Amino acid sequence: MNDGSMLPLIELRAVSKSYRKGGERIDAIAGIDLVVEERGMVAIVGPSGSGKSTLMHLVGAMDRPTSGEIGVGGHMVNRLSPRELTQFRRRTVGFVFQMFNLVPNLTALENVALPMEFNGVARAERADRASSLLGQFGLGQRLRHLPRELSGGEMQRVAIARAVANAPRLILADEPTGNLDSRSGQMIYELLQQISRERTVMVVTHAQDLANLANRVIHIRDGRLQDRPPSVAALRRGQESAPAQPSS
Amino acid sequence: MIRLGLRNVPRNKARLMLIAFLIGIPVFLLLSLRSVDEAVERQTTVLTRDVNTVLQLRAKGSMGHVNMIGQDRLLPADVPEKVARIENVVQVESYLLAMAPITPPNFVMHVGLAPSAVKRLESHGEAGNPRIIAGRDLTPEDAGQDVAIIGKGYAAWAAIEPKDVGKATLAIDPSRTHPAIYGMNRPQRNLRIVGIYASGYVFGDLQLFVPIDTFRSIYGTDRRVSWVFVRVDSVDNVATVAQRLHDTVGGVADILVPKQAAVFTATTSRTVLRLTFLGGLLAIVLMIIVVFFVVLMQVRERAREIGTLKAIGASNGGVVVQFLTEAVALALLGGAFGLVVFRFLGDAVTRHLFALGIGPFLPSHYRPLFASLSVGSEISASVLLIVMSVAVVAAIIGSSYGVWQLIKISPLEAVKHE
Ligand SMILES: Nc1ncnc2c1ncn2[C@@H]1O[C@H](COP(=O)(O)OP(=O)(O)OP(=O)(O)O)[C@@H](O)[C@H]1O
Ligand SMILES: [Mg+2]
Repeated sequence: MNDGSMLPLIELRAVSKSYRKGGERIDAIAGIDLVVEERGMVAIVGPSGSGKSTLMHLVGAMDRPTSGEIGVGGHMVNRLSPRELTQFRRRTVGFVFQMFNLVPNLTALENVALPMEFNGVARAERADRASSLLGQFGLGQRLRHLPRELSGGEMQRVAIARAVANAPRLILADEPTGNLDSRSGQMIYELLQQISRERTVMVVTHAQDLANLANRVIHIRDGRLQDRPPSVAALRRGQESAPAQPSS
Repeated sequence: MIRLGLRNVPRNKARLMLIAFLIGIPVFLLLSLRSVDEAVERQTTVLTRDVNTVLQLRAKGSMGHVNMIGQDRLLPADVPEKVARIENVVQVESYLLAMAPITPPNFVMHVGLAPSAVKRLESHGEAGNPRIIAGRDLTPEDAGQDVAIIGKGYAAWAAIEPKDVGKATLAIDPSRTHPAIYGMNRPQRNLRIVGIYASGYVFGDLQLFVPIDTFRSIYGTDRRVSWVFVRVDSVDNVATVAQRLHDTVGGVADILVPKQAAVFTATTSRTVLRLTFLGGLLAIVLMIIVVFFVVLMQVRERAREIGTLKAIGASNGGVVVQFLTEAVALALLGGAFGLVVFRFLGDAVTRHLFALGIGPFLPSHYRPLFASLSVGSEISASVLLIVMSVAVVAAIIGSSYGVWQLIKISPLEAVKHE
């Protein structure tokens, strides 16, 4: 990955995504240009229906844009073949979902080991790395627990461990604290901030606390980026486009 | 992914049991039909060997019925002895036949034979001794006695019920006539009915078997006989014996070589084979349908999980392998369940299955065979192999549509309805 430190991690050029519903066209993303540097936390904020999730899905190659170019970590995501897309999802990006999305009949350890298994990591190494990650995230005593035996905050920590298992350069988290109480949410913020020291964490949030921890805040409305952040708090932190060291 | 697929098998115990049951039933059906198949084939082999070693002699150009107009010429009295001396002949059985009118224009057949001789049915005698359904068969002690066993249909006409057996009598009147039967000036005789038999065949059930000496004294015939059945020690010697018969009694007798019988049994077993084949096919189709719905249901139910797996890096091929593994494992478990049920219930159920499902399609006189059918419920290596391969094939074919749906699931499915 010799290109990583030189080039921006994410680059969007005139990206649009529209849906057709009945005869009506909805522009969920309407011509976005965006550059995000390697490392640090980027918060995406905006009203409901403004296109935050759609943007995340496009960047994470879960969905394809209607038009425009998307580059992530040196891959032109919108042009990848299905096989290359699978490789991209394994190596370059990790997802954290609002609903955790753990595999219900696998233990915490097995859930974390899963992406490594897909990526061809040897069994012993998977187990080692998964248990050390879970230990780091304060779940050393929960390795053999099934998701239903864990609290929401614990499940989300397992999910974050799973997302970073293959050491991707980008973590995407869409409202990761949306289903958590504020105390558990706080723990997740700190964890995301911690992992953003080594990689880029892009997080959609309605929680001001989480946005406050971000190095950069991107405002989106009606599928467009907003030049002027609407709040003073966001103004203070959100205008920088260069990566900054997070304060801990 | 194979491991993940296997882990998914016991995920829902109720589902697992239901599927094992739903797949087990067709497997059971398949195994039952197969064992019917085997039993019939075994039976046919015996039958073919037996029937094909018996030749029949009749007076030249005559049916040999003592009172049938134009057909009453009989075989000379010395024929049985001459025949018995021929090499490779193991048994000689003499029959005497007379027709008797019942409710016009029908008639029944009275047969005189040694009490222990095989009671062959007129024109469909291949199957041999019919089944006694009331009373008893004739025994050597009955020789010369005024006793008889009667076919079910004849008994019904004569109003003899099973409970009357042993007491009921039947009047034989040789003087009665019919368009094809001439009257004989002989007195009426009452025979005590000691048994009722059933052949399942209408005409076969319109017969009366009496000891041959009794027959002679009723109809006033001498030592001549209607038919002689000659049993040869093996199929290989039938042709030689037929030649020797030509040489010794060919001048007075027509010799019927058992070709027809062989053809007939072959046809019958082919019918059975075809039916069991269709049944087997039906069983496999049932399995495929069960797998089809199970896999489709699972793909729908786990769409979110599948989307998640794809989003975190599972390839389409990997997810397909996972689901195929699960389907094959479920089908194999269902197969194992079917095997267990077959082991314990196979024998009983197969009999009924045969009687209800296949019996109606067979020539009716074959039905008495059901009773003697020995159906195996052993689980041999070949049975195991059949079940396993059928399960695997059904699982793969049955999953194909679900697999196609699986491939189409987008990773976005992971975040739907958030
Ligand atoms: N599959 C789809 N079909 C049609 N319209 C869609 C689809 N997905 C999203 N949209 C529309 O696109 C727009 C943007 O949706 P998106 O989910 O990105 O919003 P969001 O900013 O994440 O909102 P929220 O904060 O409520 O999650 C919305 O108007 C939504 O209705
Ligand atoms: Mg959203």
